[in-house]
Amino acid sequence: MLIALLSIGIGATILAGLVTIYVDVPRQMGAQFRSYGANMLILPKEGEILDNDHLAEALQKIPQDELIGATPYRYVRLDMTSRQQSFTAAGTDFTQVPKTSPYFSIEGAYPENTREVLVGKSIADTIGAKVGSSMELTYQPTALSENLNPEESRVPNAMLSGSAEGFGGGMVYVSLKLDENGTIASLEIDAGTQTPEYGGRASEDEAYLGQFTGKTLPLSPDKDIDALSGATVTSEAVVTAINTARMTEKSVKPQTMNFTVTGILTTGGEEESYVFLSLGDMESLTGSGQLDVAELSVSAGAEQLEAYADAITQDSGTVRARLVKRVTRSEASVLEKLTALVFLVTLVVLLLTMICVSTTMMAVVSERRREIGLRKALGASDGSIRKEFLGEGLFLGLLGGVMGGILGFVFAQVVSVNVFGSSITFQPLLLPITIIVSMAIAALSCLLPIKRAVAIDPALVLKGE
Amino acid sequence: MSLLELKNVSKIYGDLKALDNVSLHVDQGEWVAIMGPSGSGKSTMMNIIGCMDKPTKGEVLLDEVDISKESSKNLTDIRRDKIGLIFQQFHMVNYLTAVENVMVSQYYHSMPDEEEALEALERVGLRERARHLPSQLSGGEQQRVCVARALINHPELILADEPTGNLDEANENIVLDLFAQLHKEGTTLIVVTHDPEVADAAQRTIVLEHGKVAREVINENFGK
Repeated sequence: MLIALLSIGIGATILAGLVTIYVDVPRQMGAQFRSYGANMLILPKEGEILDNDHLAEALQKIPQDELIGATPYRYVRLDMTSRQQSFTAAGTDFTQVPKTSPYFSIEGAYPENTREVLVGKSIADTIGAKVGSSMELTYQPTALSENLNPEESRVPNAMLSGSAEGFGGGMVYVSLKLDENGTIASLEIDAGTQTPEYGGRASEDEAYLGQFTGKTLPLSPDKDIDALSGATVTSEAVVTAINTARMTEKSVKPQTMNFTVTGILTTGGEEESYVFLSLGDMESLTGSGQLDVAELSVSAGAEQLEAYADAITQDSGTVRARLVKRVTRSEASVLEKLTALVFLVTLVVLLLTMICVSTTMMAVVSERRREIGLRKALGASDGSIRKEFLGEGLFLGLLGGVMGGILGFVFAQVVSVNVFGSSITFQPLLLPITIIVSMAIAALSCLLPIKRAVAIDPALVLKGE
Repeated sequence: MSLLELKNVSKIYGDLKALDNVSLHVDQGEWVAIMGPSGSGKSTMMNIIGCMDKPTKGEVLLDEVDISKESSKNLTDIRRDKIGLIFQQFHMVNYLTAVENVMVSQYYHSMPDEEEALEALERVGLRERARHLPSQLSGGEQQRVCVARALINHPELILADEPTGNLDEANENIVLDLFAQLHKEGTTLIVVTHDPEVADAAQRTIVLEHGKVAREVINENFGK
């Protein structure tokens, strides 16, 4: 009897444990997968701008308890003053970075104050930066940068210079001055690398040069400017050079700020060649609070994620959401396999429990053969024998179920702590379910033994056995 | 008035005729002993009278009902309502006390009533042993508990299978005295035995041999 109780108890323990883990695992796995990075991106729609307000609005479409983190990024090229070198800088929110990129490995610490930066390992190696060292960063506004406010490309009296590849691989250099309206006031072209009798004339041909005066940037090569005859390639290079011309120091002052390095970032990825600074500092440097992208880590299944992304994209006029498919897909497929595995193991365990309980009850019946015979001789009907054993079985199931429900939680907790490194929430509904299943299993296991008990001949008590 | 009547009853196992065309009747209130060597058909007859087996041929009327054709479910009901059984091996439920063992019989019959069960134990002189387990009782005491159990539901017929077979003489006498008392109260008793002394206590002895009634002996000294 004790063996039957134990086997039901163990069966119920494994059942309750596995179901608990199974219920909890999507959450656990979700968290595990979240450590591989963001699974959703928020981007501006075509021709729109992403900023903090738009991002906050989009985030409202995702339940707070499912949103693990949302990290905004703005990417800009910055120059390092000490060296003639430029690199990508990312403005971000350092409180969110560890949530969406838990794999970031930091030597030192994340910046907490303004004027502090996190430097990628490869940059740090190149420039010899260490935690605590300082670096001066310069933002050089580009006149025709896509990110720049169109107004800034028409800064009054700005001096611009640029270059482009012309005929035969030779470079064409331009320098131009804008007037008070921001249109071209004068233009100088250095076409010394071009064929003197064709492209080379660009720097002297008055009629050609005259066309540029009063034009607004950017230029469109066919509409605004007639090409120098016999020098189409050079003419196109001139327009390109003007359109990509940058403001010189004389016109718009570059912003320079001093930063302290608080940490060196190792990721094994491209982030190692970035410098990270706070969005506040980025805004001080560039004068714009615009964002390029926000990385989101959401704890939800693939279908749910898709629903959130669709809701964000449809309801917002300015932003769209995109899933990082690689992560969400592998998550779904692992969960699917896990479900099948848990189902299979549970089935096997229940089957084994049934066999064990059935065998034990069978032994109990043959052990109590005489007593059962006596009870029948004393007038016990088949029904009351059935009831007695079924009652016993159900009682076993109840005890085992209670035991299993409690031990199962402990079991799941131990497994969870050891495998996933996190604890589990108690599922209150699981206890009654475990008890009911245990009782059902116990009752089922008793069917054959009961049949055997009912078949016992009461006359056996009359023989001298 | 006849309580039990067997008409040309046979029980055949393959080639073996355990009972061969047996007829007998037992009146209400009669005390009958059935004797015979092993293999004479005593057990088979006991099973049939005790509603635990059915004859191959013939009729068995118990209280004017033919029990030879009843389903086993109905036989259980009849056995419970009309027959009290006493066994050679006593057969008590070993994890229940004396009074609980008596109450088991009440439980299957109607409702357990501890007071009534204690009264039944008092009749067999064991009221003060009511809370003892079978292992704490002597063989004689156990058999007396079984007598109390057999009579608790006021059966029409008490059927005893070698009731003194495992008892010493003193206890045998106690049990026989109890039977005499029951007989006086009008209970019908059928006692299967191979002990001539036990048979002599009855009014009438039926001797079985080879599945047939060999002879009947009326006890001239009964009640003296």
